[in-house]
Amino acid sequence: MAEKALIIDDICINYRNIRHMSIHQSILKKDEVEGPDIYEAVKHVSFDVEKGEILGIIGRNGSGKSTMLRAIAGIFRPDTGKIDTLGHRISLMSIGVGFKPDITGRENIMTSGMLLGFKPEYIKERMPEIVEFSELGEFIDKPVRTYSSGMYSKLSFSITAIMDPDVMLVDEVLSVGDVSFREKSFNKMQELINDADRTVLIVSHDLSTLSNMCNRVLWLHDGEMKMIGETNEVLEKYKEFMKQ
Amino acid sequence: MKQFISDLKKYWYFAIYSAKTDLKAEVANSYLNWIWWVLEPFLNMIVYTFVFKNLFPSDKSFPVFIYSGLMFWNFFNRTIGYSVKLVRANKEIVTKVYVPKFILLIGNMFLNAFKMLVGLVILIPLIIIYKVQITWTALMIIPLFLILFVFSFGCGTILLHFGVFVDDLSYAVGILLNMLMFLSGVFYDLQTGLPEGYGTFIGTFNPVACIIDGLHQVLLNGVLPNMPVLGIWTVISIIMSVIGIRIIYKYENSYVKVI
Repeated sequence: MAEKALIIDDICINYRNIRHMSIHQSILKKDEVEGPDIYEAVKHVSFDVEKGEILGIIGRNGSGKSTMLRAIAGIFRPDTGKIDTLGHRISLMSIGVGFKPDITGRENIMTSGMLLGFKPEYIKERMPEIVEFSELGEFIDKPVRTYSSGMYSKLSFSITAIMDPDVMLVDEVLSVGDVSFREKSFNKMQELINDADRTVLIVSHDLSTLSNMCNRVLWLHDGEMKMIGETNEVLEKYKEFMKQ
Repeated sequence: MKQFISDLKKYWYFAIYSAKTDLKAEVANSYLNWIWWVLEPFLNMIVYTFVFKNLFPSDKSFPVFIYSGLMFWNFFNRTIGYSVKLVRANKEIVTKVYVPKFILLIGNMFLNAFKMLVGLVILIPLIIIYKVQITWTALMIIPLFLILFVFSFGCGTILLHFGVFVDDLSYAVGILLNMLMFLSGVFYDLQTGLPEGYGTFIGTFNPVACIIDGLHQVLLNGVLPNMPVLGIWTVISIIMSVIGIRIIYKYENSYVKVI
């Protein structure tokens, strides 16, 4: 039995519809606000991921894929159930890591790196590589708010790609930037994925990418786990289902 | 609590670095950049000196009195004002990566503390011009500031939590802060500026007034502050911080879902 990288045990994630309220509402309309308006985004999902495995995740929009990845990344805890990351360093690669708009690209690399749990010295060491990979040129020393959306995603991709986390969660970023950067990032992804020790979870709607890259695929439907298993088997069923 | 200390260690560099970059960004985005941090309290001091000098009888070093009080007050004011909208202001980060929310608050407090230190550029010349006799009691400023820091942190963590769920809390807090400023002895001497009894009352029940009054005492009069009251407020501040941190750990899970 191979070493496990992630254990997801029966997790549920609910969005309670508390939303914002005003002081007026919270005092005067208490009973109205506290209605049990619960939306279950992820329902009783459990699966294991082995070390070095590449797991694809598919499902319609709103089926809880991103929510689940965010929970695995530790942005919020699931309401019930357990996510055991077994001490691995996990990073979520989605369009735009947390950037502060007013500080420069370079400073944002430092802050995001630190938030991902890396030491400042290590980030400084990798800095030239990140800057080069991002192709931002002189813009790296300009505030991030001046970036175009393409540059923004290039930078966020470069950070996670170069920083080397143990477990990578990839949320729809394979279509980033212009054609040449897309090719480059795709190759980089391949390279990262080919590293036998790395565990990757990919959310994508691009079925051909998934069938090229993944060992296994998980299919989420309305927050429930519909199927998990061999890539082609699941993808076939999924295609059939979507045609109906 | 163990988690608090390990998180503090883990994100310490981040807090310092983000304070540094925010400062730099602020400097880069304004024409007069860091001069503002000096100019703002300086101009306020001039206004307040004109307005309040005749209202409250005081000695010649009134500008020093006001300026030093404003430095402490601004630190408190900025920290509290920011804490209410902290999670929303950092939406970009909070929704993309996990960070203990109080770390963001600490980062902002470092920033405010630094701005306060810049104020010394004006305060020291003022002290020299008005020939204030500095005695060893001035060293008490450091512990006084530490108490203010812990108290602000305690209030900040609790407000941070409610600020996420209640939209218009920031207006309410803004008004409260405004009221509190007039009750904090920034413009008048708690001991002599108010009718008998009021000063003691405010100095006992308003920790900010107690701290600012302490600052005035050690700086201008060479007298030690009201130690027993300060001691009690230190304990209360620590308790508030512990409660605030507990609340944040318990509920920060749901912040991302609300914003």
